[in-house]
Amino acid sequence: MPILFQLRPGDTRPIYLQITDEVRRGIAHGQLVPDEALPSVRALASDLRVNPNTVQQAYRELERDGTVYVQRGRGTFIAATQDQTDEIGRITERLADDVVREAWRSGVPIDALIAAIQETARKKEDDS
Amino acid sequence: MTLELSHALDSDGVAAVRTRGLTRWFGDHCALDEVGLIVPKGAVYVLAGANGAGKTTLLRSLMELSRVDRGTVELFGDGEASPAQRRAQIGYVPDNHEFGYRWMRVGELLASHAGYFPHWDRSYAAELNARFSIDDRPRFGQLSRGQARRVQLVMALAHRPRLLLLDEPSEGLDPLVRDELGAVLAEFLAESGASLLMSTHHMHDVIGLADHLGVLVDGRLAAQVSRARLETELNQIHARVPEGWSASRDLESAVLERKSAGREISWTMWGSPDALQRELVATGAEVLSLDPLGFEHATRCLLRLGGGV
Repeated sequence: MPILFQLRPGDTRPIYLQITDEVRRGIAHGQLVPDEALPSVRALASDLRVNPNTVQQAYRELERDGTVYVQRGRGTFIAATQDQTDEIGRITERLADDVVREAWRSGVPIDALIAAIQETARKKEDDS
Repeated sequence: MTLELSHALDSDGVAAVRTRGLTRWFGDHCALDEVGLIVPKGAVYVLAGANGAGKTTLLRSLMELSRVDRGTVELFGDGEASPAQRRAQIGYVPDNHEFGYRWMRVGELLASHAGYFPHWDRSYAAELNARFSIDDRPRFGQLSRGQARRVQLVMALAHRPRLLLLDEPSEGLDPLVRDELGAVLAEFLAESGASLLMSTHHMHDVIGLADHLGVLVDGRLAAQVSRARLETELNQIHARVPEGWSASRDLESAVLERKSAGREISWTMWGSPDALQRELVATGAEVLSLDPLGFEHATRCLLRLGGGV
C-alpha cells in the first residue's frame, strides 16, 4: 500500500530527514512492505515541491542503512530485511529524545512526564 | 562581525555561474560591489536581499543586459562567450514585463520567441501553457502582471536551458499558480539537471527547492552558503549561566546574535552542535536547548544581520 508523503509545516529539520522519516513511518505502520516501490525521484520532488537532489539524498541515505534497495532503471524498493519492530524502535527513540530534552529545558521531572504520557494515552484511547 | 562564507564547489570545479569582482556604479551609488557569485552546477541558488540590494542588477549583468564597470562573468567555465551565445543557454525571467511586444498576441509572442531557440520543445510549451492556464489570444500588453509572468515562465523554460535565471518568478502569481510553479520547477530540475539562480522576497515559495543561499546587502554579497551548512551549523542556544559568567573568546567569536535576561542567555551561533554543547558546558553553562535554526529562520537571521552590518 503506498503512503502519502507529508512534510509538516513548521518542521525545521532538513527535508531529506523528513522524507526518510516518512518512509520509516510507512514501514512502522505496516503500509510499506518489502519489495514495495517508492515513488520516483521526479514524482516525489514534484509532489512535495522540493529539490530532486534532496529526494535523491533521502533515498541514498535509506539505501546506505539498508532500508531500501535500488534497481538501476527500475526504481527504489523497500528491503526485505526491513522489520516493522526495528522502525518502531527507531521512531520511539527519536520521540523520547525530543520529549526528554524539552522536559529538561522546562524543568519537568521525568517521572511526572512518564505518568502524564500514560494518562494522556489512556484518555485518547477512551475518546476513540 | 563577518558574514563572509563560502562553500565547496562541485568536484570538477566548474560552476554554472561564477563572477569575479563584479562591480557596477550608478552615479555615486555602488549597485554591485566586488560580487564573487558561485552557483555550482545543478544547484538551486536563491539570492535574497532587501529592495535595492542589487539582485536585479546582478541578474541583468549575467544576461549582459546591464554593463558592469569591473569584473568578469563565466558560465560553465566559459568567460569568452558572446552575449548571444550566453543568452542561448539561459532561460531568463526579467523583473518586469516592459520589454516591448505589447501589441503581440500571447500565441504570436511565444511562436516568435520559439524561433530564436533551436531546442524549443513544442509539446513541453503546450503542457506548460495548460498547467499555467495561459490564454494565447489576448495581447501581451493587456495582461495583468501575474498573467504576463506565466507567459514569461513558458518563454524561459520551454527551450530547456541548462541555466535558469529567474528574477522574482512568483511575483504577481496567485497562490495556486505559485504552488504549480514549485512542481514545474522540481520536475524541470529532475529531468534536466539544470542549474537555477533566482531572486525572491518570498522565501516560502522556494523553501523546498533551494540548496544554496546568497545574501546581497547594499550591492555586496554578504553571505554565500550551502543549505546543508546553514541547516546544520547555525544554531539557537538557550542556556542558564552562573553569576559573573563569561564565554571564551572562541565561543564569543561564533556568536551572530545575542539576547539575555538575568542568568539566561539566548544566542545564535555558528558551529557544530556537539562541539558547541561541549564548549558551553565546559564554561559552567547549563544548556537548556540547542537546536539548528532550520533553513527559513537561518535565512531570515542572515538577512537581518546583513542589514545591520
